[in-house]
Amino acid sequence: MKIAIDAMGGDYAPMEIVKGVEIARDRYPDIEFLLFGTSEQVKPLVKDWSHITLIPTTEVIEMGDEPVKAMRRKKDSSMVRAANAVKAGDADALFSAGNTGALLSSAIFLIGRIKGVDRPALATALPSFAGENDQFVFMDLGANAESKASHLYQYGILGSFYASHVLGINDARVRLLNNGAEEDKGDEVHKIAHQLMKNSQSFNFLGNVEARELLEGTADVVVADGFSGNAALKATEGTALMMLKQIKQAIMQTGLRGKMGGLLLKPAFKDIQKKLDYNEAGGAVILGVNAPVVKTHGSAKANAVANTMGQIKKMIEKNLVPDIRTYIADHKDELQAAKNELQSQISE
Amino acid sequence: MAMEKEAIYNMMADEIAERFNVKRDTITPDLNFLTDIDADSIDFVELVLEVEDMFNVEISDDDAENLVTLQQTVDYIVEHQN
Repeated sequence: MKIAIDAMGGDYAPMEIVKGVEIARDRYPDIEFLLFGTSEQVKPLVKDWSHITLIPTTEVIEMGDEPVKAMRRKKDSSMVRAANAVKAGDADALFSAGNTGALLSSAIFLIGRIKGVDRPALATALPSFAGENDQFVFMDLGANAESKASHLYQYGILGSFYASHVLGINDARVRLLNNGAEEDKGDEVHKIAHQLMKNSQSFNFLGNVEARELLEGTADVVVADGFSGNAALKATEGTALMMLKQIKQAIMQTGLRGKMGGLLLKPAFKDIQKKLDYNEAGGAVILGVNAPVVKTHGSAKANAVANTMGQIKKMIEKNLVPDIRTYIADHKDELQAAKNELQSQISE
Repeated sequence: MAMEKEAIYNMMADEIAERFNVKRDTITPDLNFLTDIDADSIDFVELVLEVEDMFNVEISDDDAENLVTLQQTVDYIVEHQN
């Protein structure tokens, strides 16, 4: 198993990327790591070269670079060279903590979409604080600013595969993020998507879910258009962090009794904090392309990088991408029927 | 080595037929990428990248926007071949 690593992407690259890779190398002896990066910067950081190969590159895609332009013009960048290695079959998966747009472009245009998938999407596993499972898949987190109803439909399929193969959740309960529970809620895209998903044999659709219920465990896959998904994710993150901060502040500002109470509650709060810190557990996955492509948070440090390698390993071992590819190929008539249905609904 | 215009045309037409599920014998030099094929923005970028690889040319984003027909694209490739 070989993972192509963009060693230069991310706020703490290449140091934390290399450190994370070495932790992962020690943890997972069956992975070979191909480090793509600037030789003078990466070479001195590697302590032990077993299972690690450096492929020197001369350019770096910066965080502020325009994604498609950067992918097209910086052909010797660590990210593009790593993506091309996956395209050529020299690696099985791609990892980066760098420019998300450029990684998306590299995934879509170099590694390529799975035939039949219109729009790859960014997905991540978030914690569920109630219900039968610990996590749920949330997508699209912002790969696409606008989505058609047929794209949302496809996310139901892609998300269900991620749930079964990586989270171990079979027959995932799929819901559509919407601004109300009723079928006719939302804009035209969401109304039509609801109908498409309701009539689907491809996944277990249970209806809409509102943003406030996201963490309540009523779904194993929550499908959203990219704009709403991104907004809901950031609102949830921001609220959770603010709540924890406020609680901490309140404890510190009360007297001795409060502080003692805080000390007693510390392990419980640490547990909650750990559960909320999903970025430590892994990265966001670009679902719908021909290989696992995972983007970890820009500020990821070594532990998050190492944990993401475990996530990628699972995606490869469980044949996530080949199984999606086979399913979509075997069901192309049904998917085309969904698109035709969409066309007829739009023209009504 | 520079390719002949006719060879370029045929390669492009074959690529379009395969990529966009269009009958090869319906493709003419006037084929309009915006109106005659079912393609989205991702398809267009993919096509530009494929053309660059196939013919060893570089197509700037500005130039790509002006390549609306098959003939325009073929003429561009002939002019810009390395």
